Amino acid sequence: MSLDGGMMDPHAFTRILFQDFPSWEVSFFYLVGFAAIGSFIYGVYREVRKYLRGVPDARVIWDYAHIKQGIVAIATHRTLVRRDPYAGMAHRAIFYGFGVLFMGTSIITLEYDITSKLFGIHYWYGDFYLWFKLAMNIAGVSLVGGLIYMMVRRGWIKPPKLDYARPDRAPDAPDYDRSNYRIEDWLFLWILVIIGVSGFVLSGARMIWLADRPEVWDIRWWSPVGAFFAYGLRALGLDAEGAVILRQLIWWSHGALALTLISLIPYTKAKHIFTAIISLVVRDPLPAQRLPKVPEGQEQIGYRFLTDMSWKQLLHLDACTKCGRCHEACPARTTGGPLSPRDVILSLRELANSALQYSAVPEQSKLAMHGTGVGQVSSETLWACRTCMACVEICPVAVEHVPIIVQMRRALVEEGDMDPLLQKTLQTIHKSGNSFGESRRKRGGWAKGLPFPVKDARKEPVDVLWFVGDYASFDPRNQKVSQAFARLMHAAGIDFGILYDGESNAGNDIRRVGEEGLYEHLAESNISAMQSADFNRVVTTDPHSFNTIKNEYPDFGGQFEIEHYTSFVMKLIEEGRLTVKKQLGHRVTFHDPCHLGRFNKGYDAPRKLLEAIGCELVEMKRCKDNSFCCGAGGGRIWVPDPVGTEKPAQNRMREAASIEGLEVYVVSCPKDLTMFEDALKTTGYEGKFVVRELLEMLEEALEINLVEAEVTA
Amino acid sequence: MKILIAIKQAIALDEDFEIRADGRDIEEDFFLPDLNEWDEYSLEEAMLIKERHADTPVEVVCVTIAPDSADEALRKCLAKGADRAIRVWDESMEGSDPVAIARALAAVAKKEAPDLFFAGVQSSDHAHGATGIAVAGFLGWAHSAVVARLDYTPGAKEVVLKRELEGGLSQELRLPCPAVLTIQLGINKPRYASLRGMKLAAAKPIETLAPGDIGLATNDCGESGSLARVRRMYVPEKQRAQILAGDVAAQAKALAAIIREATGS
Repeated sequence: MSLDGGMMDPHAFTRILFQDFPSWEVSFFYLVGFAAIGSFIYGVYREVRKYLRGVPDARVIWDYAHIKQGIVAIATHRTLVRRDPYAGMAHRAIFYGFGVLFMGTSIITLEYDITSKLFGIHYWYGDFYLWFKLAMNIAGVSLVGGLIYMMVRRGWIKPPKLDYARPDRAPDAPDYDRSNYRIEDWLFLWILVIIGVSGFVLSGARMIWLADRPEVWDIRWWSPVGAFFAYGLRALGLDAEGAVILRQLIWWSHGALALTLISLIPYTKAKHIFTAIISLVVRDPLPAQRLPKVPEGQEQIGYRFLTDMSWKQLLHLDACTKCGRCHEACPARTTGGPLSPRDVILSLRELANSALQYSAVPEQSKLAMHGTGVGQVSSETLWACRTCMACVEICPVAVEHVPIIVQMRRALVEEGDMDPLLQKTLQTIHKSGNSFGESRRKRGGWAKGLPFPVKDARKEPVDVLWFVGDYASFDPRNQKVSQAFARLMHAAGIDFGILYDGESNAGNDIRRVGEEGLYEHLAESNISAMQSADFNRVVTTDPHSFNTIKNEYPDFGGQFEIEHYTSFVMKLIEEGRLTVKKQLGHRVTFHDPCHLGRFNKGYDAPRKLLEAIGCELVEMKRCKDNSFCCGAGGGRIWVPDPVGTEKPAQNRMREAASIEGLEVYVVSCPKDLTMFEDALKTTGYEGKFVVRELLEMLEEALEINLVEAEVTA
Repeated sequence: MKILIAIKQAIALDEDFEIRADGRDIEEDFFLPDLNEWDEYSLEEAMLIKERHADTPVEVVCVTIAPDSADEALRKCLAKGADRAIRVWDESMEGSDPVAIARALAAVAKKEAPDLFFAGVQSSDHAHGATGIAVAGFLGWAHSAVVARLDYTPGAKEVVLKRELEGGLSQELRLPCPAVLTIQLGINKPRYASLRGMKLAAAKPIETLAPGDIGLATNDCGESGSLARVRRMYVPEKQRAQILAGDVAAQAKALAAIIREATGS
């Protein structure tokens, strides 16, 4: 019905607040209300004080674009529906339900306590009131519906990622037990559900109580759920007298719970309402792709104490909602390593809550992040990370785990707390510029096996500078791929050259190990070698080199236009400089390298290439942004995995093997070729399918036949 | 309490190196210099003494007899925590053998008056194994070579140690201080010197001295102060090996033929 042309004054259609309340009850309510707000404000102050004990974060940019992307992410719940669509949708229902109900309450408060009292302005009546009621009903249904799904999920579906099992602690460790979190999860759900449902009961009870008044009863269907409850309660025998008592009881429980919730927000997981929003707004577009540079003149590097972290990172710790997406995606955790990105964040959160939440900052020993004590992160955990960025990429609230882990590793490197083999590799790289311990002079040796000379870009200008990288230069298997790429560029008539012994390891993985000094040294040396050469653009077959040159060299003064070979070759084919002559017709699957895919969103070019050469691509379940790391990242290629446990590459081989009729497992990264050819043998799938570098398949399909190409190095 | 440590910037060779024109050394272009491996262990041992006894101040001083190209090795020591670094050099010291080097080291030791003097058992390039013990000779101090374990409390009048002997034997010794010890690999686990640490150490001063500053005359240094002089350096000719087939008589006959051919008789 509508009020237009009705008999009654529209002002009659409203809800009288505190109707028939004795004045002491109203006063008491206000007292409780102010107490709740007081508790909320104090809690927020305490949290903000905690965050501000971190250092300033130069990478946080408060501009329109950043704020906009954060708000869009929140409004659409884009990050929450990924890989967990039902939970994401349920959260969206709760978010909007709660949001609308909160706004509704604010609108009432605004009129009752402010505009009407100060200016005599009333607006909560008539048509506006009716639509308001309807909106509140829909919001309530949305809220309660979402919450019920979440309860079903926790209580019956029980996804393993929500059991909070810790891979980084022995079960008898004092901080192994996560049951407090579980209790909090359930309390939070129950409080919200009860607030929602009691609102409807209250509405129904009021309808029965005031059923004789047309301005209440006649508009009952504007709050359909309330009306439904009214009929239900009546059927159960509730009359107007009983409704008065029920209304009073429910009114106080509903109000008390709502105020309790408000007062508890900054002290419980409910704080994510604020922390997650800020976290999303201040998200770094390149969190793991471009690791933090050490400011000029800063002597101590890396994180040792909580107060070394930035305010934003301290806030990240509180933004985590323990959803477990990172826990599920982490290759170290999946293969039984002592690392769950979630537990790194939760441990540090617990440490921060015990150390930074009081009026004074305690002595440094209480702020130490490294160790095996409560809230600390062990070096085994930190070294288990392969910096594949799966955790950062999937985090719905933009927690950036990788920079925290690398910063903590920087401190470990300074202390020399690392695997002896890694230490040796770092020394080797420092001495010889490559991780193979080979002579610098041999870096361009693979090019000798070609039927044409490869230009020395240090001596003559070239159009394309090819940054080769360590594995493609020195690993015998990958040298063959490098030769294939050289033949391909030669066939396309590209004017290209390499830096020969002027090139060093690009440093991407050294930086991710945490050896920042060595990284600076390598980056500066490569940048100066590149700057003294004359070229227009850079290409590489190595996604690791690609990432650091593209995203990190600019911080050191090296601005280069760089492409990975996949997009480079795709363009050559599109421009007609290369022609596909043979359709390979294989059934293949493609492994996205972390540094090409997740790091730099290069998902499409390799797939287009596979299509162009006539391969049938069957995706693995974990593909593109969810690609599963081969285990080589973050310097882990130099550290042997523990004997007797499954390696990430082996885990991946098993996944690929589940594809029926798979012929080729296609890779496009030198380290992937090494890791997966090895894993193919150790998992026993040799003979069932093969691991091939996309470049070699391209060469076959493009029929680049150089007679002398048979010559090898 | 002070520990003085002899440091050497040792040389590894790049593959396909070339001999210098004068035939007495390798062409410098092919040098891959790094801190002598043994010195990593002697420095670490000194650092452990320093760190384990935080109540007694221990000064760790590194010294090298070398041109400024060895500064990098000293910086690595400073990065690992050495307190001071001394480098002694001028052209007159060119061509010094281990004895001439030891004379200079001993002169520095007299000036610095340490409680302990550490050197590596040998250097990873020339492998004379002589310098440390020659220092003890010049100083007339107690000494022990190939030390594999060390017990020392700063300020103590003596040091207890275990040294390695041939045939898997060990020997335990008690020496009065000051003493000269040459330190064996494996006595500890040397720490990592991060590149940043080394860069920061670049700001720490290296005391540079000339032979005159430590009371050495020109004829104490270089070839004139040495007992040995390098005549030539060369890659030995590849030796042949073959397995002689047949019965004993046939083998003996073949062997005799080889001997005759080699001796030209």
